[in-house]
Amino acid sequence: MNARAVPVWDLWPGGIEWQPMSPKLRTVWVLRSLLNVLILAVAAAVPLTIWLGWDGLLWALGGYVLLAGLRALAVSRTVRTWGYAEREQDLLVRHGLLTRRLSIVPYGRIQLIDLSAGPIERMFGLTTVQVRTAALGSNTEVPGLDPLVAAALRDRLAVRAAEVREGL
Amino acid sequence: MSTDEPAPPLAPAPYGPAPYAPSAPPEGMQRQRLHPLTPLLESVRFLTAAAAAVGIQMFTSRNFLFAVYAAVAAAVVGGIASLIALQFRGFVIWGRELHIYGGVFTRSHRTVPLDRLQSVDLARPLRARVFGLAQLNIEVAGGDGTDARLAYLKHDRALELRAELLSIAGRPGAAPKLERAEESAAEAPAAPLVPPVTVRKLAVASLLEALPVQLTALLVFGTAFAVTGSIFGFTKVATALWFGFFAPALLGYLQSTVATVNRFLRNCRFRITRDGGNLLIERGLTDTSHETVPVDRVTAVSFDEPILWRRKDWRRVEVWTAAVAQQSTSVVKSTTALPVGGPAEVALVAAEAVPELPAAFAVERPPSRARWRMPLRWKRTGAMLDEKVFVVRHGWWVNTYVAVPYARIQSVRVVQGRLQRMQGLATVHAMTAGGLGHTAKAAHRDVGEAVAMAAELRRRADAAAALEAPRLS
Repeated sequence: MNARAVPVWDLWPGGIEWQPMSPKLRTVWVLRSLLNVLILAVAAAVPLTIWLGWDGLLWALGGYVLLAGLRALAVSRTVRTWGYAEREQDLLVRHGLLTRRLSIVPYGRIQLIDLSAGPIERMFGLTTVQVRTAALGSNTEVPGLDPLVAAALRDRLAVRAAEVREGL
Repeated sequence: MSTDEPAPPLAPAPYGPAPYAPSAPPEGMQRQRLHPLTPLLESVRFLTAAAAAVGIQMFTSRNFLFAVYAAVAAAVVGGIASLIALQFRGFVIWGRELHIYGGVFTRSHRTVPLDRLQSVDLARPLRARVFGLAQLNIEVAGGDGTDARLAYLKHDRALELRAELLSIAGRPGAAPKLERAEESAAEAPAAPLVPPVTVRKLAVASLLEALPVQLTALLVFGTAFAVTGSIFGFTKVATALWFGFFAPALLGYLQSTVATVNRFLRNCRFRITRDGGNLLIERGLTDTSHETVPVDRVTAVSFDEPILWRRKDWRRVEVWTAAVAQQSTSVVKSTTALPVGGPAEVALVAAEAVPELPAAFAVERPPSRARWRMPLRWKRTGAMLDEKVFVVRHGWWVNTYVAVPYARIQSVRVVQGRLQRMQGLATVHAMTAGGLGHTAKAAHRDVGEAVAMAAELRRRADAAAALEAPRLS
């Protein structure tokens, strides 16, 4: 059982040096999940109040605290699983707590590199790098990077993509 | 906490080739016209509906002169409208571009860069065939999904134009050979790759493929009918209600039956020939179509084996290209390279689609601890790293081998679900250009093997891509 608990990416032959995401990413994602649960709690509070009177509000609040706590715990553990690595020929991105995903994008196949930042991300000064290839389903994200790190990564990827361009 | 974080600095210079800048031909350039019957053919559905309405009117009112008036009015109005419409429609070949004009009220002007031409297909719908006409479907790399269309042209004019477009696009050897092939195709067909599929074989194959579905559907409907009947009695009201309730399911069943028949008709008179770097496919009984598959753009070849074909050892060969995928992103389509064939024919076609591609693969099954997850399919599932291709096998109802050349693999992904994690399994995805249907999935491999497979796939993909000349589209 113990051997099977090892994440799939740690079995990669040769070992990889994973770059961690910005430590602020955890704060951002926990905040975001708290907001999402809050919306849910508000939506649930209305019928609960009609049904139980003012006790309903208390129930909604209690439910919110419980759910938000669990969610925050899960999210903060998930953030730790994110990581990326630049190898000689390809970019590796790993993530996922329950379902684990390891994406490998060769530099030569990169078609498009996007930088994006949502409102909460911007408040904390974080940027997401998105890498696309010609395969429509494969949209690889590297979230939660410092803007300068993200821009540097984007430039490095672009240079490498132009150097080793491969076709479809 | 600074909201005014400066935007990340731009890269010093844009990478890649200069963007494509379309130009316009001079105003006075003579446009080539489409066939005068075009507006009539395009409104054929409307005309049929109108004719039906007039017919009903005529028979109910017993006024046969009404039909004559309607016909005269339609001829006059339609003729004038067609003449006006034709003035604004046409196309111009200007340099290395094809300009297509259309529309009376909303003018449209479409520029097709012939440098990025993927393929020109000749299609002949039934209504056009009646008048000896054809249409050209033009596909361009990186298109926005709507392909350019030239409809309708006289058949020989369409063939000429197709050869001309291909020669401008610079397909080596495409133009002269193509013309010769087409000219001879009219009378004596050029040597096809495989002996033509007889109608009988195709009919048997279609029947065998559709039989399990049909039987299951009939069984389900029959039981449902019997059960409801035994509960509510077989009265007229109950029957009508039953049909109303099951109408969506019945419609779906009818649709699938019609689709099967259509596919049979489409695959009749199937002929595949090799022409330089292209596979030329001609097929169709009522609607003939010509398709061109550039061999160097084939991203995957799949071999389908419906459940009742197993005893006959028949397979269907489908060829996937990025160009086909760009046509529509929602519906993933492939080109049939062989509707049905025995092992020898399948091997021939496969070797033409991807050089040195074998047709039989000894795939390795997933570990037996994955068996309970797919009790029926487990025996028929597998993956294998062949010399030049990555092969996966899946499916019980229709068993499919998918072979992806290493040079066509875009990115690789290893996914491990929560159940898989407990069992020490993982799934490897190898993605090729195009939609989601273009992923070769090796399901439920041992974790160590999966990761090693992904690493090996990446290594081989790089090695294979390095051997090829880089190209941008």
